[in-house]
Amino acid sequence: MPSFVFSSAGWLQPLRLLVAHGWLREAGVDAWLGALRADWRLNRTFARVHSLRWVAADMLALRLKANRNWPGARPGQAVLVYGERDGVRLARCYSLTAVRGRVLELAIKRQPGGRFADKLIDTLLPGDVLELGAPSGELEWPRDADSGVLLLAAGSGITALYGLLREALAKGCKQPVWLLHSVRRREQRAFVPELQALMARHPNLRVQWLITGEPAGEGELHGRLGAEHLRDLPAHSLLACGPHGFVQKALSLWSAEPRAGTAQWEAFSPPPAQVAGAGQAVRLEFARSGLRAEGDDQRSLLEQAEARGLKPKHGCRQGICTECTCQLLEGRVRDLRSGRETSEPGQPIRICVSAPLSDVRIDL
Amino acid sequence: MRTDRELTPAELDAFGAELDALRERTLADLGAADARYIRRVRAAVRLCCTAGRVLLMFGWFPPTWLLGTLLLGLGKILENMELGHNVMHGQYDWMNDPELNGQRYEWDIVGPADFWRHTHNHLHHTYTNVIGRDDDIGYGLLRLFPEQRWKPFYRRQVLWATLQALLFQYAVAVQHVKLDKYFKGRISKDEVRPLQRQMNGKIVRQWAKDYLFFPLLALLIGANALAVLTGNLVANLLRNLWTFAVIFCGHFTEKAAVFPAEVLENESRGHWYLRQLRGSSNLEGGPLFHILTGNLSHQIEHHLYPDIPARRYAEMAREVRQIAARYGQEYNTGRMSRQIATVFRRIWVYRKPQAV
Ligand code: FES
Repeated sequence: MPSFVFSSAGWLQPLRLLVAHGWLREAGVDAWLGALRADWRLNRTFARVHSLRWVAADMLALRLKANRNWPGARPGQAVLVYGERDGVRLARCYSLTAVRGRVLELAIKRQPGGRFADKLIDTLLPGDVLELGAPSGELEWPRDADSGVLLLAAGSGITALYGLLREALAKGCKQPVWLLHSVRRREQRAFVPELQALMARHPNLRVQWLITGEPAGEGELHGRLGAEHLRDLPAHSLLACGPHGFVQKALSLWSAEPRAGTAQWEAFSPPPAQVAGAGQAVRLEFARSGLRAEGDDQRSLLEQAEARGLKPKHGCRQGICTECTCQLLEGRVRDLRSGRETSEPGQPIRICVSAPLSDVRIDL
Repeated sequence: MRTDRELTPAELDAFGAELDALRERTLADLGAADARYIRRVRAAVRLCCTAGRVLLMFGWFPPTWLLGTLLLGLGKILENMELGHNVMHGQYDWMNDPELNGQRYEWDIVGPADFWRHTHNHLHHTYTNVIGRDDDIGYGLLRLFPEQRWKPFYRRQVLWATLQALLFQYAVAVQHVKLDKYFKGRISKDEVRPLQRQMNGKIVRQWAKDYLFFPLLALLIGANALAVLTGNLVANLLRNLWTFAVIFCGHFTEKAAVFPAEVLENESRGHWYLRQLRGSSNLEGGPLFHILTGNLSHQIEHHLYPDIPARRYAEMAREVRQIAARYGQEYNTGRMSRQIATVFRRIWVYRKPQAV
């Protein structure tokens, strides 16, 4: 979608209008703009890498400057970062640790088997240009938290919480804040000097590390997140961020005691692996029609959409004509002809020959 | 005439399975090289068109005018065939690149991309060479097979074919508006009007670019506007003639087969493949020739695998040929001069009712 941002360079506005009315083609205009300056585009957000620095043994922080199409975001939100592998455009989500106008910071962590992050980490240089997607994410610093805030992060979950924390402290937050970051190895603790400096400046902040996979150091906790780590905490609001299991544990520990505040969380996990076509129920969401429904993993998405009263555009119904193509926004689908699976957000799929394998959201 | 062996249902299934296997093997192998290729084609299109337009600004001076016109024509041919047509088939959808998305791509001809996606991708590719279902058989203007019912109108079809060749991009646009059905009173004005409006909008945009903007630009910088205008006209004409020739060689050669509508009933995947093979014909030539035809010179492979990047057809063709031979099917191929001669012969012969 073209986003007509007010602050955009004024001289591009006539071009945007011509593109919007079909007199010019955006790809052509973007090719010229990109040739003039690598991060110039008509509507898409591109950002130039300003600097890179290691914030943990396996986490690299980038400072970026976005072009004028950047719609703005809050720290704690995440952006999609686009890249390419084997000719395929991929996108991964990274939390913003700082936002000042069009200057952004985000941190990328190596993941086991995460070739996308590895490639970024191993090849990015200052001056490179990356495409970014629209920011998303609901996490917010709790407003009703006079009695304290508990921040629980695991692994790369620290990035979103660190962003929120830094902003809240800069805005003069005086309530007690307790941050616990759980990592497997000590070298994976991220932003350590920064957090220690914050602690020195803000007596209301306490940061602790929980080491799960090796002996803990001086002043650190050891083992998996448990009730003993949270005992007698005055905090009434919770922000939790990490893999599914961690977030669930955090929530159950938090709600074991009566609390006045609110709990917010964000969980990330690898897409659940499922057996192809095992006859399971899945949740379907047709984003543009605003329809959610129960579905199955046997029939094509086209049939299932029609069964729910939608009338998707289609032609041959056998995967030839591509008229039924629409975007997969979330989830995993299987090609009914070849059994090939896809879970790339934004990937065009032919719904007449695609069946869902997990809960899916499609742009229909 | 064709000398195909009829296949039993079991043979058809095996035939389909072999072609499916080739398809899967090729799909699994798609990657960075294909992405690089299509982006290079796009860069070549931009380079040709820009260079052509710059050269045309030097006025009537023959070397620059001729080269400029040729380059612009070449750019337009490449954009139309190897880039536009193939991208719009969804051949590069797997790249997930919004600029090369089959549903969103808009090409540089007067026919709106949406029209083409329907008449071509859906009707023509699904109902290939089925009389009454595939409007591409003669485009409603020509009688090319004895199976088509004769009408007095066809007597002058040499003239119709010539006009169509000269104005091919308009023929492609008009086809979807179904004016013929409208004149026969089979569809109403209300059905035609929105399509017509969409088509007019696209025509106005194309004309504004080629015949107004660039000539005016020439005026503005003190160049010869008439030379620019003529260069654009000729470039579009070249593209019309070339695309006409290539496309007519795809399905209307001597050995191309047509089918009655009954074959569509419960048609198996194997038979669908068989119909594509029998209804299409290839052209032989060098690598540059194939690129200029948008690899429609591999029409057979294109029809078997419309959504596989066309640059793969050449290597797939070797195997398709072997499979066809193993199942006793003719593989219709030849040099362009020979193939197009048989097309012209059809246009000439079937203009008469008794020619059956
Ligand atoms: S309806 Fe033709 S490809 Fe899906």
